Amino acid sequence: MKKYFTIFTLGMMALSTAAFAGTTATNTNAVSPTLQISATIQSAVQLTLSTGTAAVTHCAVTPTGGTPDYTMNFGTVDALGINAGNCNKFAPTTPGTTNAIYWSDYNLNPVFTSQTTANNTITAQVTTDFAAPNNIFIVRDSANSSTVPAAVTDFAAVSTATPDPIVTNAASGSTQTRFIGVAVTPANGPGVTGAKSATVTFTLTVQ
Amino acid sequence: MRFREHEDLRRTHLPVVKSGGKVCGASIRRPLSALLIILAVAAIALNKPAEAQNGTFTVSAAPGGIAFAAGGGGTLSGQFGTMNALGIGTPGTGVTVIPLSNGTLYLTKYQITISGLPNPHRGAVTAFVNSNFTHPAALILESCPSSSTCNASGNFSAISLLAAAPTAVVAAPGITDQTVTAGLAIFVPDNNGASSFTGVDTARITLTATDTTNNKNFATAEIRLDTPVGETVQSAVRLTLASATGGLTITPGADFSMNFGFVNGLGFNPGAGLTTVAAAGGVVYSTPYVLQPAFSAFRSTTATIKTFVSTTFAHPTVLILRDAAASAGPYNNIGTTAGTATQITTAAPDRSSITRFLGLFVSNTNGAAAFQGSDSATLTFTMTVP
Repeated sequence: MKKYFTIFTLGMMALSTAAFAGTTATNTNAVSPTLQISATIQSAVQLTLSTGTAAVTHCAVTPTGGTPDYTMNFGTVDALGINAGNCNKFAPTTPGTTNAIYWSDYNLNPVFTSQTTANNTITAQVTTDFAAPNNIFIVRDSANSSTVPAAVTDFAAVSTATPDPIVTNAASGSTQTRFIGVAVTPANGPGVTGAKSATVTFTLTVQ
Repeated sequence: MRFREHEDLRRTHLPVVKSGGKVCGASIRRPLSALLIILAVAAIALNKPAEAQNGTFTVSAAPGGIAFAAGGGGTLSGQFGTMNALGIGTPGTGVTVIPLSNGTLYLTKYQITISGLPNPHRGAVTAFVNSNFTHPAALILESCPSSSTCNASGNFSAISLLAAAPTAVVAAPGITDQTVTAGLAIFVPDNNGASSFTGVDTARITLTATDTTNNKNFATAEIRLDTPVGETVQSAVRLTLASATGGLTITPGADFSMNFGFVNGLGFNPGAGLTTVAAAGGVVYSTPYVLQPAFSAFRSTTATIKTFVSTTFAHPTVLILRDAAASAGPYNNIGTTAGTATQITTAAPDRSSITRFLGLFVSNTNGAAAFQGSDSATLTFTMTVP
């Protein structure tokens, strides 16, 4: 009987050499736990602005880290184009009748990922206009290109009502040079001088 | 087992004498001297009959403890069974496993009964290992006194190897007409290197009952851990993953899981525990994590750890797993086959914590190859002790 019991015990010991799955094992020298990794990919869009490099001089695009996102200051301007401003200017074609334009180049940097299409547009709209009497307004290069404007006529007012397309189907990660400025009208009357500001909202849409 | 005797009357051991490099023992054998002693003891017994009464010392299995087979000469035989330093697997019947930071304690309980001592005499019990395991670095006998619950590792201490300095099991002044429960354990320490051992080993423990009133040993018993085969030591390996401070949470499951949450090709708004690292064509979301290797009973004191992507993402060009030794990188793609597994370390010590960085590359691809939604992959880590 004792002999059979010993044989049974040895048999059980032999069976016990089977390793345990997962993180532990015995009677072996290796173990292979697994790690499942999950993630959910979201699409993403980014549009940043930066100081231009195309024109002769450049008004700085300054990120604020808050609201608004960026600022640009054209300096002291006037309707006759007497002041130099902080960057470039076109004097009025007919002083006292037509507008002077102070302008600068700037860069748009659209980036987007995990989009099912690469089709995209960038628009600009004056979302907060200069205060009355509105003798100054925001203008942009009417060509919507990186070609440096050569005359007052190369600029058009930026809409306050609807977004103006300024870039179409830019490559993600590319740099798009555009031009923006302020037109100063020769209007006279109360409130036409002093520091004034407006806000332009740029919108990148990928669809 | 019940064992009753009075050794001091039957045979008196003289001090061990060491002479000329030999150890000798001797007993009183001269008939006249023995006769005088017997007469003197008999006279004392006649004057104080209570002191002459012998106690009964019984050692037996406890409910829920391991089984003992009674043998001749006051012996009990049994075994704890198969053990390993990591406490892996199901212990033998009647054995409780307590994994510790440097090994595992396998414990059981047994009973001691002392009765028949004359009032107010009481009996104490001590133990020593009279025949230790032949691999004392792999198996260490421990005892828990009857005054303790014997349910925690802190209740146990190594049993003395010296007969002259035994370990108290039933502490003085002892007990009488009472049964108490004591603990017996085998500590299996992490034991790698030259002293490593796997296989079967045996040991024997002598329990001695002493009348604490007259300080006389009135009985002994022996527990033999050798039946039916003895104690079996296995090698054992374990590799676990854990969250690192400041990293993503690693959730134990089948076997572990980790969720990077919402990610995007621009690295916006990484979730808690994640940092982003710039990468060509996208961004890497990075998290630290901890590898915890443990192994015992191996000649080698270090292990190798590798990993590979055993199940790739459904969108393998958009999401790619990368590995780095440092948070800032460099991050390298983890191999996608066992044969191209990424080597994490070739010298992982036992019970160490190895911090590593797992990167999830997210492509900034647009168009037909782009993907939005959830995806998952599986990494298989393999620790090998050479």
